[in-house]
Amino acid sequence: MTNNKVKIKTEKLDVFYGQKQALKNVNLEIFNREVTALIGPSGCGKSTYIRCINRMNDVIETCKISGSIKIDGQEINNKQIDVVRLRERIGMVFQKPNPFPKSIYDNVAYGPQIHGLADHKDKLDQIVQTSLKKSALWEEVKDRLDEPGTSLSGGQQQRLCIARAISVNPEVILMDEPCSALDPIATAKIEELMEELKKTFTIVIVTHSMAQAVRVSQRTGFFHLGNLIEVDTTDKMFKNPNNKMTQDYITGRFG
Amino acid sequence: MSEEKRIVKSYEEEMQSLNDDLVKMGSLTESQLSDTIQAIVKIDKEAAENIIKNDAQINELRAKIDDQISTVLVKRAPMAIDLRTTISSLKISHDLERIGDLAKSVAKKIEPLPIDLPQELTGSLKRLGELVQKQLNNVLDAYITKSKDKAIEVWRNDEQVDDLTHIAMNEVANFLGKNKKNLELATHLLFVTKNIERAGDHVTNIAESLYYLIEGEYLEGARPKGKEFVKDK
Repeated sequence: MTNNKVKIKTEKLDVFYGQKQALKNVNLEIFNREVTALIGPSGCGKSTYIRCINRMNDVIETCKISGSIKIDGQEINNKQIDVVRLRERIGMVFQKPNPFPKSIYDNVAYGPQIHGLADHKDKLDQIVQTSLKKSALWEEVKDRLDEPGTSLSGGQQQRLCIARAISVNPEVILMDEPCSALDPIATAKIEELMEELKKTFTIVIVTHSMAQAVRVSQRTGFFHLGNLIEVDTTDKMFKNPNNKMTQDYITGRFG
Repeated sequence: MSEEKRIVKSYEEEMQSLNDDLVKMGSLTESQLSDTIQAIVKIDKEAAENIIKNDAQINELRAKIDDQISTVLVKRAPMAIDLRTTISSLKISHDLERIGDLAKSVAKKIEPLPIDLPQELTGSLKRLGELVQKQLNNVLDAYITKSKDKAIEVWRNDEQVDDLTHIAMNEVANFLGKNKKNLELATHLLFVTKNIERAGDHVTNIAESLYYLIEGEYLEGARPKGKEFVKDK
């Protein structure tokens, strides 16, 4: 499985929100074209971690980050990096589907437009169609592209957000509990979609569902109180973890 | 092993009850096997009848354990040590049931045997039976104490079971060699010997499942084998 190369390499990552340390010396490698699941109790730092990857923590004034995050060997945790360009490379999907208050078409077309990926309408149409197909939503919306994105069901909205994320050809997709507001069928569709997406993208998913981590990921990291306790192949983590804390957490002995 | 209790009390209780039933099944199987060995050595036909009757209790427990395991799987999606406990319990309960079946089929063979079975024929059989009984006893102790070392010891000792089987079978073969009229009796005794040896194999399986439960890995390499029966005939 690790014939794969490292896509994101994190070293000695510390994150503070004011006085509170949210991440403590995190060292983690995310492999290319794999799904990496991050698990751990609420407040353990897993969301903080993925928000470091696309520099989402920049908007929080009290947030101080030190350490290194390299994407394909390039340091992204410094002032010189173009954050807009970075977020084009690193897409994100959130817990609650958050389509723009625009049409289905515009939701997907917005990114390629602002990043200048389409110089004419045909090209834009094509990107929208491809993105919606890749997010397994095309068949359901192709005849209603001008309807508002918010008119879709929760699961469809989430797939629309995925289409929006992939429309700018990112390298990495970050997913922060993408299914926690969805019913089992919509969840299954997203999980099925991830299987497909990982052929093209590197995916990092934060999830509270252990069963989901097992189903969708090849590698799992367990965070607790800001520490990355253990990371290993998902198979090993859920059958025979090395660390007692991991075992206690995944078997429901603390949380 | 985790000492902490689970947050969900009913889950804790389900796993405890699974464990209790497996231990109970183990001790039932243990007494069935030891009664069978006693009965064959003494040619106790009355005891044999009881053994045949009692096998149903083991089967019932296995069915109950199967049911408990499917409930745990569907309700709890067990992980890590719980997953391994669940899987191993399923396998161990099936091995115990098979040992029970083998004890029963040995007991069935007692009925046609003459009461005055020559001593020379029961000596090795008795030793074999007692060894397998001890092996079962040890593996169940290992299960209760979750002892990896004891599990390995049981697994290794299967070699002795094979050796004793070989001796016992040779004795029967010699007995048959003396007089062809002994054929029917010899056939019965060969079956009995073979069944006891197979009970020993199931004990070894249990040791393997237990090792997996504790370590999360499989016992490496082929199980040690004793001399083959046919070799020095």
